[in-house]
Amino acid sequence: MSGAGLPPRAPSWTAETLALFGKEWRCELRTRTALSTIGLFAFTTLVTVSLTLGPIGATEEMRPAAPVLLWLILLFAAAAGLPRSFVQEEEAGTADTLRLVARPSCLFCGKALYNFTVLLLLEALVTPLFFGILRVPVADPLGFAAALVAGGIGLAVGSTLIAAMVAQARVRGPLFAVLAFPILLPLLKLAVDASLAAASGAGAGAALELAWLYDAMLTIAALMLFPLVWHP
Amino acid sequence: MSNALRWFLWLWIAGVTVAGLLAAPLAQGFAGRAGDAPESSRIVYFHVPLAVTSFVAFLAAAVWSALYLWTRRPRHDDAAHAGVEVGLVFCVLATVTGGVWAEVQWGAFWNWDPRQTSIALAILFYGGYLSLRGAVEDPDTRARLAGVYAVLGFVVAPFLFFIMPRTVGTSLHPEPGGARMDASILWIVLAGIAGQTALFFWLQSLRRRILSLRRTDLRFGA
Repeated sequence: MSGAGLPPRAPSWTAETLALFGKEWRCELRTRTALSTIGLFAFTTLVTVSLTLGPIGATEEMRPAAPVLLWLILLFAAAAGLPRSFVQEEEAGTADTLRLVARPSCLFCGKALYNFTVLLLLEALVTPLFFGILRVPVADPLGFAAALVAGGIGLAVGSTLIAAMVAQARVRGPLFAVLAFPILLPLLKLAVDASLAAASGAGAGAALELAWLYDAMLTIAALMLFPLVWHP
Repeated sequence: MSNALRWFLWLWIAGVTVAGLLAAPLAQGFAGRAGDAPESSRIVYFHVPLAVTSFVAFLAAAVWSALYLWTRRPRHDDAAHAGVEVGLVFCVLATVTGGVWAEVQWGAFWNWDPRQTSIALAILFYGGYLSLRGAVEDPDTRARLAGVYAVLGFVVAPFLFFIMPRTVGTSLHPEPGGARMDASILWIVLAGIAGQTALFFWLQSLRRRILSLRRTDLRFGA
């Protein structure tokens, strides 16, 4: 029996989330708007830093500034590209369809996962380039990678929730930075501290643990609040 | 608020001010950089109550926002909006009085002490809350998004106010309850907190009534 006549079974939570995640990537690969915006923004900022400050990793005094600059590049690149995910839905008129067919938690997780993978890709491209050009030595690469992942999760989750809010506002571009930065700055401080400790070989330690804790708090809050943002 | 209560509030605040400036003994250990400004410790009767009241204000705004999201009654949104506006004034005053005291005690208006960082982020956050309200035209959407943002702020706030100051960096501020002070000083500080908190709720209720009247006027096209 083929099961004809029976109503189609609703997909599982995981399948729905992965389907939305796949949709995000398919849409992005058609236009490449977010990837090109984020990539070019990060590259331009990296060139500007290198051109103006030179190989700061070569001098002992300037070395602690390197993780700060790296995280600033990542934060502003994320702010330039990640809000697009929800704005595009509102502009194309697909937001209402998504409201009808997708569970809010699946939509949020699908979008946040997409934003996280974009950020991971950005970090994987920018970080080696950054350390190569600025000649910054990293004593504990694994600890540094953990700091990048912890910071990336918080950036993705926070950006996804704020992007959903901003997409319903009149002024979108500047508003994202105004709303997202106070939420993301504590995480940025922790990520910088963890990166700095890992780069100097002191171990990412307490700052990294707190960054994971912040990620968990932000994710739980975002999952609870997103349905209120999404459904009028 | 009745006339009698209003007069009582003004007399209370005036009493705390007079007691703090004239009657209270000088706090030990707050003698200024060069030991030449012991009177500077009297700012504690304004700075601490302002900081505590701004925290109460933002907590109340988060509760009103949660109530709005629960009931969708516009008066709760008006209350949250008014609470943030008035609370932000208290927060800025707490920052300014803290900066003045920090200059005398620690030698600089701003030191990026964990508590100073927290209050700076709170100002940025609630400034963002007001920007969000200004950027959304539809009143229901505006109230809903602002409510979510205010609640989000109070999910993040415990981390900012209680966890980060104790774990990242060393604070120049004493721990709450950790500063040893004369009983009379403590009582005047507590009386100041009670007075400032009552003042906040009075100002907030006035502002809420103005916002409610404005919303009703807009609805009926007056």
